[in-house]
Amino acid sequence: MNVLAPAPARTPPARGVLPWAGPPDGPVPPLPAAPPPRAPSPLAALWLPLRLAWRQLRFEKARLFSAIAGVMFACVLVFMQLGFRSALFDSATALLAAFRADIFLMHPMTLVSFRPETMPRARASQALALPEVQAAVPVYLAQATWRNPENGSRRPIQIIGFDLEAGVMDFPGLAPLIERLKRPDSMAFDLRSRPEFGDIARLLRERGPFDAQVGNRHMEVVGLIEIGPSFGADGNVVMSELNFRRAVKERAASAIDLVAIRLLPGADPQAAKRRLAEALPGDVMVLTQPELVAWERRYWEDATPIGFIFMFGSLMGLVVGMVIVYQILFSDIASHLREYATLKAMGYSNLYLGRVVLSAALILAVLGFLPGFAASVVLYDVVGKGTFLPLAMDTERALGVFAMIFAMCAAAGLLAMRKLRDANPADMF
Amino acid sequence: MADAPVALRDVTYAYGKGELARPVLRDVDISVGPGEIVLLTGPSGSGKTTLLTLIGALRAMQQGSAVVLGQELMGASERQRVALRRRIGFIFQQHNLLGFLTARQNVAMALELDGATGERARLSRAGEILGAVGLGDRGESRPDQLSGGQRQRVAVARALAGAPGLILADEPTAALDRQTGGEVVRLLRDLARGRGVPILMVTHDPRILDIADRIVAMEDGRILPSEGAADAPRPLPPFRR
Repeated sequence: MNVLAPAPARTPPARGVLPWAGPPDGPVPPLPAAPPPRAPSPLAALWLPLRLAWRQLRFEKARLFSAIAGVMFACVLVFMQLGFRSALFDSATALLAAFRADIFLMHPMTLVSFRPETMPRARASQALALPEVQAAVPVYLAQATWRNPENGSRRPIQIIGFDLEAGVMDFPGLAPLIERLKRPDSMAFDLRSRPEFGDIARLLRERGPFDAQVGNRHMEVVGLIEIGPSFGADGNVVMSELNFRRAVKERAASAIDLVAIRLLPGADPQAAKRRLAEALPGDVMVLTQPELVAWERRYWEDATPIGFIFMFGSLMGLVVGMVIVYQILFSDIASHLREYATLKAMGYSNLYLGRVVLSAALILAVLGFLPGFAASVVLYDVVGKGTFLPLAMDTERALGVFAMIFAMCAAAGLLAMRKLRDANPADMF
Repeated sequence: MADAPVALRDVTYAYGKGELARPVLRDVDISVGPGEIVLLTGPSGSGKTTLLTLIGALRAMQQGSAVVLGQELMGASERQRVALRRRIGFIFQQHNLLGFLTARQNVAMALELDGATGERARLSRAGEILGAVGLGDRGESRPDQLSGGQRQRVAVARALAGAPGLILADEPTAALDRQTGGEVVRLLRDLARGRGVPILMVTHDPRILDIADRIVAMEDGRILPSEGAADAPRPLPPFRR
């Protein structure tokens, strides 16, 4: 077909109509023989559809921006939901995570630390029977009413009482206060408590140690420590065992909420845990610290709708984003059916055009994720400061959300690809 | 003719199934020789468009035998048909250019399926072909910046770019005025003839019948007996209604 037979004599064409076309019966430049069609290299098979998709997206700016805005919206929504979720769980377990001990004893019916079942104080002493136990410290937990020293309003606050000198429990800022906390009716205030408790840090700076009302007792705030608010407690105060008994009179000294155990250096926590569980009666549960945190977390995840709410919120964000991307891709195909059909007539396969649609979806995923990520970092900062929740962006979450957005756009692309079947080149004529 | 670019024998085609089957082609025999320009005319519904889509491998055959550029289409797989389409240049009523690509990029689209050429070679070849259709200076214009005749000339360039073995055109002048339409089909004829590419063109347009080597008239799904147009394009056969 490429061999040029001399053109047979034909009627001369109407001259002057096509000044550029040249005389058709003149010498014809020989056409280079077409090389046999070769399959495109794998790289070109991905790159060319991607470029075509990008050129198409770029051409309609308004549509491109609305698609990017849709993906960005989904991205921010998912980041916020996951951020809140993990911040709430982190803050719910902030108190327990702040303890510095190897093993804990807890009543098996305690569901969550701010509503503990008490157990006999004797269990702490019994734990000392094991040679590898260095120290076992009883911990008292209670909620009491705190009166704001600035305006007199009252709010429940978490009180934590234990033997400060045992060195088993430690909070940032506690060590230098230990001597002063030995005085009767003294306590240390958690500076990360919510501001509704009053600006204790400022008062301390201005007045030095001052009296505040906790429970029905006046006690002296002698310093600041750092724990952080949680679901169960908007604020915390730490005091000695003795002062705890003064503040919470109704609590018998023999009823404790938690035992924090420190092991001798080099002891195996798992083995010690097993031996403690064997040695102690059934009214205590033996947990390592990660297990204790997980126990608390499980309560918030399973026994409250919080975990579900945030997963549902994330899912909704992804669904909305997918619908937006699908709409954009679908209308792109629908309004270019003739062009797509023409490409098919030219020999482009369904698979190739499918790659174009999928490339468009993935371009949208990347273009929407980047501003969505940036906006989320800013929002984390703003919202974290406003709600006192520990909102922080980490690589793992960023990658996870990117994977979700990517999957969302790919799903939208796969759905939209079905519309390509309507581009039937046989209907073009 | 054994090595004719297009050779159809006893092709029958019907839309619908069973009781509702409506035959549109009955025992059609047609062939197009190398370098031959054949015009297919006939009233609407005579089956000429269906015939064109069968030859263009855009539709699966039902009955008969059709050898196009050496490929038997009866029973051909989707894959074989897609591969064959790459060796055919299509020109439609509408230009169907991609609105977001320049004229040169549109033409280069016909070359992107061939892995042997690089991007630079594709664009320079597209530029050459645009020059041949008289649009050498409009390569960077988008379709919406071109006139109707210029767009159809870009479509002609796109059809020719892949060095096709056959050009199929469906009323390429329908959307154009008389003067422009005539220019475009004559341009197409000259370029195809210069390259020895046969053309099969469906047309209603009596003004362009003079470009043909042979005119085939269809009616009710059958080819009407030739009326001596085979060797003399003029005088024109009466246009059948």
